[in-house]
Amino acid sequence: MYCVRCGVRLQDGTEFCPLCQTPVWNPGADRPEPGFPESLPPRHRESTLPGAIAMTVVSVLALAVTVIVCLHLYGALRWGGYVLGGILLFDIVAVLPLWFEEPRGEVFVPVDFLAAGLYVLYICRATHGHWFLSFAFPVILAAGLLTTAMVCLLKYVRGGRIFIFGGFLVLLGGFAVLVEFFEHLSFGTRMFTWSQYPLAGFGIVGLFLLIAGTIPPLREEIRRRFFF
Amino acid sequence: MRKNWYRLDTAALIFPATARRDWCNVFRVSATLTEPVDEVTLQQAVNDLRPRFPSYYVALRKGIFWYYLEETSSPVRVTRDYAYPLTFMSSRELRRCCMRVLYYRSRIAVEFFHSLTDGRGGSVYLANLLARYLTLRHGLKVPVGGLIRDLNEAPPAEELEDSFLSNAAPVASPRSEERSYRLRGTREKDGFRHLTTGIVPTAALLDLAHRYGVSVTALLAAVMAESIIAMQDARCPRRHQRPVKITIPVDLRRLYGSRTLRNFSLVLNIGADPRLGDWSLDELCRTIYHQLRASATPRHMAGMIAANTQPQELIALRLTPVFLKNLVMDAVYRRSGESGGSLNISNITNLDLPAALLPYITRCEFIIGPQRSYPNNCSVLSCGGTTCINMIRSIRESELERRFFSRLVELGVPVDIESNRR
Repeated sequence: MYCVRCGVRLQDGTEFCPLCQTPVWNPGADRPEPGFPESLPPRHRESTLPGAIAMTVVSVLALAVTVIVCLHLYGALRWGGYVLGGILLFDIVAVLPLWFEEPRGEVFVPVDFLAAGLYVLYICRATHGHWFLSFAFPVILAAGLLTTAMVCLLKYVRGGRIFIFGGFLVLLGGFAVLVEFFEHLSFGTRMFTWSQYPLAGFGIVGLFLLIAGTIPPLREEIRRRFFF
Repeated sequence: MRKNWYRLDTAALIFPATARRDWCNVFRVSATLTEPVDEVTLQQAVNDLRPRFPSYYVALRKGIFWYYLEETSSPVRVTRDYAYPLTFMSSRELRRCCMRVLYYRSRIAVEFFHSLTDGRGGSVYLANLLARYLTLRHGLKVPVGGLIRDLNEAPPAEELEDSFLSNAAPVASPRSEERSYRLRGTREKDGFRHLTTGIVPTAALLDLAHRYGVSVTALLAAVMAESIIAMQDARCPRRHQRPVKITIPVDLRRLYGSRTLRNFSLVLNIGADPRLGDWSLDELCRTIYHQLRASATPRHMAGMIAANTQPQELIALRLTPVFLKNLVMDAVYRRSGESGGSLNISNITNLDLPAALLPYITRCEFIIGPQRSYPNNCSVLSCGGTTCINMIRSIRESELERRFFSRLVELGVPVDIESNRR
C-alpha cells in the first residue's frame, strides 16, 4: 500500500500517511500493530520541596533570632520590625512559590507586589511618614499592573514576544516619568530631571523592537541572536 | 561495598552541563526480534553483561570540580517501552542510572545518556545483549570476535580509556563557525517525540550512492540538505538565508585504531550556502562528500580533539567549581556546539552481527534525540541488508520527513514508512 502523494510504502491498514497526512484508501485491511505502546512516561519534575523546606526553616530561624535579640536588647521590636518585614517579603517572593508544583505567575506576581506594598506601608507608618498614599502606593500599583500584564501576555499569547518586550520597554520608560511625577507631588522635587534618561533609553529600544517586529528578516535575525 | 568510579571522557563533559529541566542528550539502539521478548530472560541477560561492561552500569554524580560516573549499587531494571523513544532522563534518574533497557512486543531497546558512550559503543553493548539474550533463550553458541566480547574476561583498560587525551594535536583548531539555518515548528508541549522510520534496502541505497560517486552518509546528507534548502527557500528570500549545514558525527576509532567503549567521536558541520546560487543534488553530493573526505582525516580531527582537551589542562579551569564550569560550558555549547548545524545525520553504518544471531533479528535501529535548539534529527543504521533511517522531531510538522523520504523515492529507492503518530 503506497501513499499517492509521497510514493512511500505504508503499513497495511494505515489510515493516514505519516509524512503528508493524506488519507489512505485500503478497505478491509486491519490496523497495523503499533510500534510503540500508548503509555506515556511518568512526568518528571524536579521536586522543589527539599529547597522549600530548607528555605522555610532558615527564614523561621532568622525570624526567631531577630525577635529574641530585639526583645532581649530593647524589650521591643524597634529595628527588628524592618528585618521581620524584609524576611517575610523574601519568603513570599522567593520561598512561597517553591511549595507549589506549578506556581502560576499571574497569581504570585500580584501577591508579591501586594506584600511589597504592605511592607512599605509598615515602614511609612513606623517612620511617621506621609508619603505612602501619594507616592509609594501609586508607584507599586503601576509597577504591579505592568509586570502582571507582561507575565500574563507571555504566558497566554502565542508568539509576538518581540511586540510584548517592545511594548513593555516603552511602558517602562513611561513608568519612570510616572515615578518622578509622584515624587514631585509628594516631595516637591523638580519634574523631568532623571526620568528623561530611562524614558529615552527604554523608549528607543522598545520602539526599535516594535518596528523590527513588523519587518520579518529583522525579526528573524533578532530571534536568532537572542533565542533562549 | 566499594564502588568503582570513572571520570567523564572529554566529549562526555559537555552533556551534564547542557542538560535542562526538559532536555538532555540521550540516544537509543534497538533490535526487533522475530519473536516476543521474554522479560525475565532479558533481565538475566542485562545482569550477566554487567561485569564485562561496568562503565555502562553507572550513575552520574557531581563532585566539587567535575561530574563523575559511579557504579550503581542496584541492578538495571528492564522496563516496558513508552509511547515514544528517548523519553526525558531527569537528573534524578541520572543519579540512579544513566542507561535504560526497554522492551515492547519483539523489540529490545537500550537508551544511553550520551556521557556514557556514543553510538558505536552503544551498538557494541546491544550486540552483546542480543547474543546473551538469544543464548539464554535458544542455547545459541555465539562465537567471540568482532562486536561480541567474552563475558568471562575482565574489561581491558583500552575499552575504558579516554582516547581523546592520547590523540590530541599540540595545536587546537579554531571552533568558530557561521550560524546555520534553523528549522522551526510547533513544539509538542508534553515532550512527545514523533518518530518516522524509513526502511530501505541497503543495496538500493548503496547503488544510488555509487551512481553519484559518494558514500551513503554523503548521499543522505545531500538529500537532507536539498530538502532543507527547499524549505528555507519557501520561508525566506535568498539574500537573507543562512548556510544549510548537516552535522555529521565521525567515529574516531577507525581513524586512530582505538578500541574504547567510551565516547570517541566528533562532529563535522558540512553543507552548502544557498546564497551562492542553486545547488543540484549532484553538486550537493560532491561538495558534501569532498568536505567530509578532506575533514575526516587523523590530522584534522586531532586539531579538533585538541580544542576540547586543551581547556581541561588549565589548572585554573580544573580548580573552578563544577557549577561555574557548567555556566561556561553551556555558553560555549550555545555559541559553537549546536549553532553550526541545521540537523544531525548520525550514521553508525553497518551493525555486523554474527551470522548465528541474524535468523532471530528482523532489524536494528539507532535513534538520536532532537537537539536542544533544533527540533529534527536523523540517524541511520544498517543490519542484515536493511537500512533504517530514523527521523525524530519534537515538533508537529512533518514537512522535512515528507520532502526527504519522497525525494529518496523519486531517486528510485523504495521506502517503507512506519511511525509512532498519535
